[in-house]
Amino acid sequence: MQRRVKRIVLDVLKLREPPLTEFASTLCSLPNIEGVKISLIEIDQNTESVKVTIEGNGINLEDVKKLMKNHGAVIHSVDEVVVQKIP
Amino acid sequence: MESLSKIINRIKLYIEVTHIGDIARRYFVKNGMDGSMTVLGIILGSWVAKVEDPYVIVMAGFGACLAMGISGLFGAYITEKAERKRIIKDLEESILSDLDGSLQQNASEFVPTLTALVDGLSPSLTATISLIPFLISMVGLLSIWDSYVISTILTFATLFALGLYLGHVARERMWIYGLQMIAAGAVITLIVYALGGF
Repeated sequence: MQRRVKRIVLDVLKLREPPLTEFASTLCSLPNIEGVKISLIEIDQNTESVKVTIEGNGINLEDVKKLMKNHGAVIHSVDEVVVQKIP
Repeated sequence: MESLSKIINRIKLYIEVTHIGDIARRYFVKNGMDGSMTVLGIILGSWVAKVEDPYVIVMAGFGACLAMGISGLFGAYITEKAERKRIIKDLEESILSDLDGSLQQNASEFVPTLTALVDGLSPSLTATISLIPFLISMVGLLSIWDSYVISTILTFATLFALGLYLGHVARERMWIYGLQMIAAGAVITLIVYALGGF
């Protein structure tokens, strides 16, 4: 029986560029990701703390981490994970 | 190989991420003005000295704008590279992580080339506009004295256009900026004629 990650919520520190819309669109371009929601928590001179909610069907966290790093963002913590059994 | 539209989108993203548009705009106008003013000085100096060979003016003009272009190319590249390295280090400290291979890093490597091209090509572009009448004169289609007049008018028109652009950037009355640029050219004209004992 397969298990697939359906949803993850991440606490992320990112640079102010690229802007949130660009960042969210890039995340959404990853395979198996159906939707991305980003909420701004705190803003600094160079950085933004954001809560990133990713929904999909078989989200690969390593791909997400890699893409975030390529866009000047680091994951502080994984705050929530939803995994579903696929019969 | 990336398609042209992908390359253009990537360049747009790099410009957005690094905010280089403002800096490139300044480089363009400042060095464009430098190019026009330098060639104006050469043209007026040659006019006062009654130089009758357009080849002399063309070579002096292109020589000067080539020197400005090369100086701008290397100067802007090295300066911008140093600035970008500093910015990347500041950003790395902000997120306590390295940015190797990131969008920011790639953009910072591209940006010095873009600014160098703008800085290097803008004086060449404006200087070439001023030298066109002398190029026509070289092939015998225009007298040298007509070339002096047309070239001076073209140079002032270029300065005025740069001023208009600045006025557009400032979102103020464009013609005021245009007149200010013309005033700068007029100062050079007066000084050169005074030196020539006109």
